[in-house]
Amino acid sequence: MSETTFMGVERNLIDWKPTIDYSKCDYCMECVEFCPHKVFEVRENEEIRLIVKNPLNCVVFCRACSKTCGPDALSFPDKNLTTQRIKDIRKEMESHD
Amino acid sequence: MIENYAILPCNGLDKCAGAISRELAIKLCENDKNEIICPVHFRVAEKKYNKIAGDHPLLVIDGCQTRCASKLAAEKNLRIIKKIIIAEEAKGHGIELNDNLRITDQERVLIDTLFNELNREEDNILSSSGESALSCEFDYETFQNGKFIFRIPKNGEVLYNENDCWAWVNENRARIGVTDYVQQNLSDILYFYPPEIGDEIDQFGELGSIESSKAVFEMVSPFSGKVISVNEKLEKNPELINENPYELGWVAELELTDPEGDKELLIGFEKYLEITKKKVEDANVR
Repeated sequence: MSETTFMGVERNLIDWKPTIDYSKCDYCMECVEFCPHKVFEVRENEEIRLIVKNPLNCVVFCRACSKTCGPDALSFPDKNLTTQRIKDIRKEMESHD
Repeated sequence: MIENYAILPCNGLDKCAGAISRELAIKLCENDKNEIICPVHFRVAEKKYNKIAGDHPLLVIDGCQTRCASKLAAEKNLRIIKKIIIAEEAKGHGIELNDNLRITDQERVLIDTLFNELNREEDNILSSSGESALSCEFDYETFQNGKFIFRIPKNGEVLYNENDCWAWVNENRARIGVTDYVQQNLSDILYFYPPEIGDEIDQFGELGSIESSKAVFEMVSPFSGKVISVNEKLEKNPELINENPYELGWVAELELTDPEGDKELLIGFEKYLEITKKKVEDANVR
């Protein structure tokens, strides 16, 4: 289920999602099993067997899937930059009100 | 010194981090006062190690985030008193591990460093402070979903982030913990990885983590500030978070850097209750 807003900001304006490093990923699928938000999707018959299918389902600031990743193949944006971006958007929203 | 510990390394041969866990465990046992638990043998000859595990505090050395040794400890109902993850430690020390299983000079440096750090930390525990600076009396709203009961404090002093962490704020200090939603999701919490006293934490930065056999939860700090106190009881009794994550299960206290600015990005009881109810409903739908 997708969150539509986070801290009052439209979720699609916040760039927060895992990025898969395919040179490290061994397709163990621990992340798929772990993530309750269905951010990942398995594509059994394709060369790239795992993709970030629903980035907007990813809970902003959550990096829990990367903590299950043995080969350390998942990375996330910088938290401080994301926080600043959220603050900036909220300021913009206030100035429009 | 690390002494009288039972040491359970992952011993993995999948990657170098596993091989390092083995070397570090051997080094820690060279003083004759620690005992190694072989994870492979443990699976088939449980009796041999049950006594060692029962008589000594347990140090787990995981190679990577797959956490095979931690999962084995959980499977065998062993309480982890201390643990490290080699891959994380390597990152923290700026060391890139090689792709094969041979220990090179660089990995040897990491093993020596971790050996020294573990011993130093153990000595510091005896002198570290962990006194609480705040006294909090919570007034709860509760709601139930199936067999799960969720308590949410409704005191005006308590603020939340949308990552399921709470903060009781008193002027420029705050006590922080996780909510019932987190502990219910994780189920039995087996390990608490505390922040260090004196650490400067950004708002939404990591304030330690907690771990169950199901998952690891990184605590997202509602406030920026300096860690002035850590709930040391959780290191031996992380299940206190399951019992009550607001009272005995609080995590840490911060001296706040920018309380008013940080509050702009936090929510109060009513909004958090609404968000939690929605999350619980969504989880049921799946």
